[in-house]
Amino acid sequence: MPPPSRGGSRNPLALVVVALIAAAMLYFGFHAARRSGPTPLVTKASAAPDFTLESLDGKSVRLSDLRGKAVLLNFWATWCGPCKIETPWLVELQNQYGSQGLQVIGVAMDDSGKEDIAKFAKDMGVNYPVLLGKEAVGDAYGGVPALPESFFIGRDGKIVDKIIGLKGKAEIEDSIKKALDTQLARNEAPGQTVRENGPDQK
Amino acid sequence: MNLRTHNSNLILVLALLAGAAVAQSGKSPSVSFAPVALVTAPRAAQTMVNLNFRVASGFHINSNLPKSEFLIPTSLKMDLPTDIILGKIEYPAGKDLTFPFSPDEQLSVYSGDFTVAVAVHPLHAVEPGKYVMHGVLRYQACDNAQCFPPKALPVSFDVKVVKEPPTHRANPAQSPHVHN
Repeated sequence: MPPPSRGGSRNPLALVVVALIAAAMLYFGFHAARRSGPTPLVTKASAAPDFTLESLDGKSVRLSDLRGKAVLLNFWATWCGPCKIETPWLVELQNQYGSQGLQVIGVAMDDSGKEDIAKFAKDMGVNYPVLLGKEAVGDAYGGVPALPESFFIGRDGKIVDKIIGLKGKAEIEDSIKKALDTQLARNEAPGQTVRENGPDQK
Repeated sequence: MNLRTHNSNLILVLALLAGAAVAQSGKSPSVSFAPVALVTAPRAAQTMVNLNFRVASGFHINSNLPKSEFLIPTSLKMDLPTDIILGKIEYPAGKDLTFPFSPDEQLSVYSGDFTVAVAVHPLHAVEPGKYVMHGVLRYQACDNAQCFPPKALPVSFDVKVVKEPPTHRANPAQSPHVHN
């Protein structure tokens, strides 16, 4: 058997260790770069990124057209169990606070077809517009890595709160109140009212 | 402790640390695929291959037969090589569990370790040798409060195709022994 190499750099086990460390650094570097790439920083008090998306009934809805209302922007998907629990709460909260200026907007981040989304919305009795999400919109809101994710946008178009994952109805309601308490900037006119998508609208 | 033992321990510790770090990095769910030992598959016969997966702690994925039409089933799709038939795929039954987000409804899920079996059937015309089978496990994971977009995990394993075993020939007729 040959004698073991005395030079540390020649030791094959040391090379394996170095390779492992290098692989770990590459892994974390890659993921860090990927995370920081397309994902802008969306924080409270920052302006909600504007977008235009198609609704289930084929209309174009632009977020900035809702200026003057408090908007609950809810990212969801048909395959998301927690979203299924949350949706009836959003229906109730839209009924309860709609007259005070709340507009819930659902953004479906599904790969499944429009028909599946419409069926889910109908089954859940959704009484607010459901938009067909696009990856670029998700990226603008921080990537939306998990669902549900809700952004609470004040009447001035600024994000006042954000909830990731399923939380209680009371917590959602508190954030809605924060959004409703905001004031429209003086030089801005209130936006239009978005027609709600009833279950029978398609 | 000699140098070799020391290095071995160091590698083990580093590997465990790296694994723990990967598991803790972010809240991204992960399903991992355990390497499969070389599978020996005789021609003209069916060989079942077990593919072992692990769902990271704290997460679950839907079983192959979720209880709701909207949920995305876990499914294995294998590429189809020529002359080697990848036959039926056997999925384990899901565990029926309730979750905080779905207290009144049981979901059929996989968590922890689970095994999917796939049948490999090389045709008679296949040249003996080593072949690589490729496929993808599609799944959609959730934890107790949120769900993550569907993912596709690449899967591959090696198959060594060997000649079919010699057929057993009946002994030629022999004169019967008569025992008186």
